[in-house]
Amino acid sequence: MLRYLLRRVLYAVPVLLGVSLATFILFYGIFPPEQIARRNLSAKNPTSQQIQEWLVAHDYNHPLPQQFKKHMTELMLLRFGRSDSTGEEIWTRIKTGAGPSTIIAGLVFTASLATRLFFALWSAYFRATYVDTWITLVSVFLMSVVYIVLVIAGQYLMGKVLRLFPLAGYQSGWTAFRFAVLPVIIGVISGLGGGTRLFRTFMLEEMNQDYVRTARAKGVPESRILFVHVLKNAAIPIITSTVLAIPALMLGSLVLESFFGIPGLGSYTVDAINAQDFAVVRAMVFLGTLLYIAGAILTDVCYALADPRIRLE
Amino acid sequence: MFSRRRFWSGLAFLFLLGGCGNSPYPTGLTRESVYFMSQQDDPRKLDPASSYRANEGQILDVICPSYYEYQPLKTKKIQLQLMLGEREAERESYPYTVAGKGKVQGERWTFHIRHDLRFQDDPCFPGGKGRAITAKDFLYAFRRMADPANASPVVTFFSDKVVGFSDLVERNAKLQKADKGADYVTPIKGLQLDATDPYTFRIVLNQPFPQLRYLMAMHFTSPMPFEAVTFYGKEINQHPVGCGPYVLQEWTPKRRIALAVNPNRPTEFYPSEGDPGDKEKGLLRDAGKRLPLADKVVITNIPESTTGWNLFLQGYMDAWGVTQTNFQQVMTQQGALSPEMKEHDIRLVKSNDLWVTYFAFNMSDPVVGGYTPQKRKLRQAISLALNSQEFIELFSMGNGLAAQSIIPPGIYGYDPKYHNPYRTFDPKLAKAKQLLKEAGYPNGIDAKTGDRLTIYYDNAKIEAAGRQYIGLISRQIEALGIHLESRAQRDVVWQNKIEGNDWQLVDYGWIADYPDAENFLFLLYGPNKRPGPNLSGYNNPAYNRLFERMRAMNDGPERLALMHQMRQMVQEDCPLIYLQEVQRMSLYYNWLGANKPHPIANTLLKYRAVNGEQRAQLQTKWNRPVVWPILMFGVVLVLGSLPAVQVVKHRHNRRVTDRNPSQQEVSA
Repeated sequence: MLRYLLRRVLYAVPVLLGVSLATFILFYGIFPPEQIARRNLSAKNPTSQQIQEWLVAHDYNHPLPQQFKKHMTELMLLRFGRSDSTGEEIWTRIKTGAGPSTIIAGLVFTASLATRLFFALWSAYFRATYVDTWITLVSVFLMSVVYIVLVIAGQYLMGKVLRLFPLAGYQSGWTAFRFAVLPVIIGVISGLGGGTRLFRTFMLEEMNQDYVRTARAKGVPESRILFVHVLKNAAIPIITSTVLAIPALMLGSLVLESFFGIPGLGSYTVDAINAQDFAVVRAMVFLGTLLYIAGAILTDVCYALADPRIRLE
Repeated sequence: MFSRRRFWSGLAFLFLLGGCGNSPYPTGLTRESVYFMSQQDDPRKLDPASSYRANEGQILDVICPSYYEYQPLKTKKIQLQLMLGEREAERESYPYTVAGKGKVQGERWTFHIRHDLRFQDDPCFPGGKGRAITAKDFLYAFRRMADPANASPVVTFFSDKVVGFSDLVERNAKLQKADKGADYVTPIKGLQLDATDPYTFRIVLNQPFPQLRYLMAMHFTSPMPFEAVTFYGKEINQHPVGCGPYVLQEWTPKRRIALAVNPNRPTEFYPSEGDPGDKEKGLLRDAGKRLPLADKVVITNIPESTTGWNLFLQGYMDAWGVTQTNFQQVMTQQGALSPEMKEHDIRLVKSNDLWVTYFAFNMSDPVVGGYTPQKRKLRQAISLALNSQEFIELFSMGNGLAAQSIIPPGIYGYDPKYHNPYRTFDPKLAKAKQLLKEAGYPNGIDAKTGDRLTIYYDNAKIEAAGRQYIGLISRQIEALGIHLESRAQRDVVWQNKIEGNDWQLVDYGWIADYPDAENFLFLLYGPNKRPGPNLSGYNNPAYNRLFERMRAMNDGPERLALMHQMRQMVQEDCPLIYLQEVQRMSLYYNWLGANKPHPIANTLLKYRAVNGEQRAQLQTKWNRPVVWPILMFGVVLVLGSLPAVQVVKHRHNRRVTDRNPSQQEVSA
């Protein structure tokens, strides 16, 4: 398994190089450094001297190959430098933003998994009854509603009409949860429809397997069949779909963080893109790729742990 | 039973965490003398040398004040008052000789600062105690502007006027290229300390420039301690160290900024004079009270305006602006405040901004540019076809004035009686059509070629509202028979087109840096063409000469006469189509003391008085949590599932009984 992991980590290197190259080409192709300077200089009408000075101060004054070499080396060494727009150390912001982002994304991830499983099991348990029909109906409805509508409606209903949670804001420490509850509920609900339907399908597929018939023949109660035997065997497809959803989770956080004023990494990235802050964008894209690769490796490890038939070699 | 217990315990947990309340602030804070506001964008930096955006200035100017500041209540005729200055600066003529250029008629300004000024306490000072401020700290701020590392946006304000400043800027640029630090040592003639008085400094200019007083009211000229720059290094733009009424207590990016009262602040009081009528409006109620009025300011970062608006309605923001998003909720059809706002004890205040919007013609374009009578008439005809009022009704909720010239209200030289003959809209377009015919395009058709005249309108309006805007301008111009081709593009591409002079018609706006006519009339001064602020590239030598005379004068009849002559020239040449003088509508809760918006002052935070007790009571009244729908939902969910349990049990039993006959069949 160790050898497998090492191989996967080595495979990640060309992926990282490719992504960094693509970021460089895309950014330089669309926004030449002069443009970045113009955007980041505060003056209403920056003079060419001011632009030149900005380029020198931010190390954009070198020929392109030299720039590229510097770009790649710094990324590979995780030396992200300072933001083009604020001059702030990027690592400092990553450290402060990682906390809120992890809380939101982590809670959305775990709560989503739990609720999807809960409703899928419920639906499977009550299959072919009106409960199953209603869960299907609500699931299809949730799948049809655009994400942003859910965010706005959820914020309006829970924060404004029912006044149960703060509409926006964030505080550190334990009070952070006060601000996390509403975005997490919305994050969970947004993926609930599709997730429940998918997990229910996995469950029902398993319920037609031979071992279920054997268990029934032996007189095992239906609830035990479902919660113990079926659930364990449905774990593989569930793990695949769950871990592959990690990048989507990050994307979801971008919107949630922005709407709820949560100072996480999602909103940091969106702001950097809007401000044409190349230094921050490249750092966040690189980190995002790293997380994605880590997620993919984690999926493989989870397979091996969940299913003894799978060996990582 | 298992699922039901799980459900209730989960719900209880959520409410426990949520605290069953929607206040975004720590308990008890709203009861205190704290002014709560929000910002959509985080400040990029808070450094007096380089911060330029409105959201940065609003915070920075109460931390780092300058020699002058704007009198907060005098908005009809904007006035400066002393802040860190002890007395009015002395301005005197200063002729001097430059090798190779001969005699130069410059001027010398002498500034006397207050003797009781101290910087705020900060770890950058020995023992953390702020030291006394001297004239040296003011001149140090000037030198920071010349340092390319600070990318000061206003360096050009000084480099062409302060003697020796442009040389210093150039020298610093060379040092930067050689990877060396900027020059903070070599004396320059334009910035002088007094040999005997540490509280006096002088600025020598190479030309008369009465507007220097306004520059001395901007945070760029706020005194700066070198200790802070040394201590914080590159992080100085996150740690402003000043001597104003507030200090930066907390800045958590994208979350919150908190300002607390500076114990070392200079003594200053709420003004006892305002515009006529201010007393009746209660604006002088706090006259004579020591500033700042609120003990703390908390600024929450709320990127989404809908969220911020809802927070305001819940009472968690003390003030808010009226925008297109909330206009329907704020105002009635008759233009009065809506009952919902009145019920919330909210008041509406309207004010003018020093902000004018306009369409500009590219004066070097072969079709719409040029100074021949035909070209003038073409521009005049198009100008007559554009109806500002319709733009204001549709896109500014009817809030704004149809602009007649480049000078907005509040600036000396603004004339409410003046009507620009080419900005007076006639729905029949008779005059416009006549002018178009005389320009060689009868009914929009080129008389020489027979082709329809096409004008290209470059813009960055790619969002929905932008498309509506394009629709309106197209309809208005096309009423003349001209075809308007809109080229909507991304902001970057649009900027590039402007910089590359590859455009015919664009729309633009100008917000004043300081309240002097010069800051608007220079938008048409020939030498200011791109990359300067003269977007259209208008270059009329007669106008330029008048401008050069006018800018050196103090306000008075002579200056006004020159300004009228310039207005006449621009009116006939028509390089710009003035669209709108922007007005603002602000909403305030009545627990906030009387407030008056100011078109240019950034120091208003220190005049905000808050009745925390009243606010907290209303917040509690308005924000009682409503739990029953959630409980009802839970009960319905659980009760609704109960019959299904019976169905499943019945199905299980049936399966067992059903299985027996089939087993019999198999055995048979």
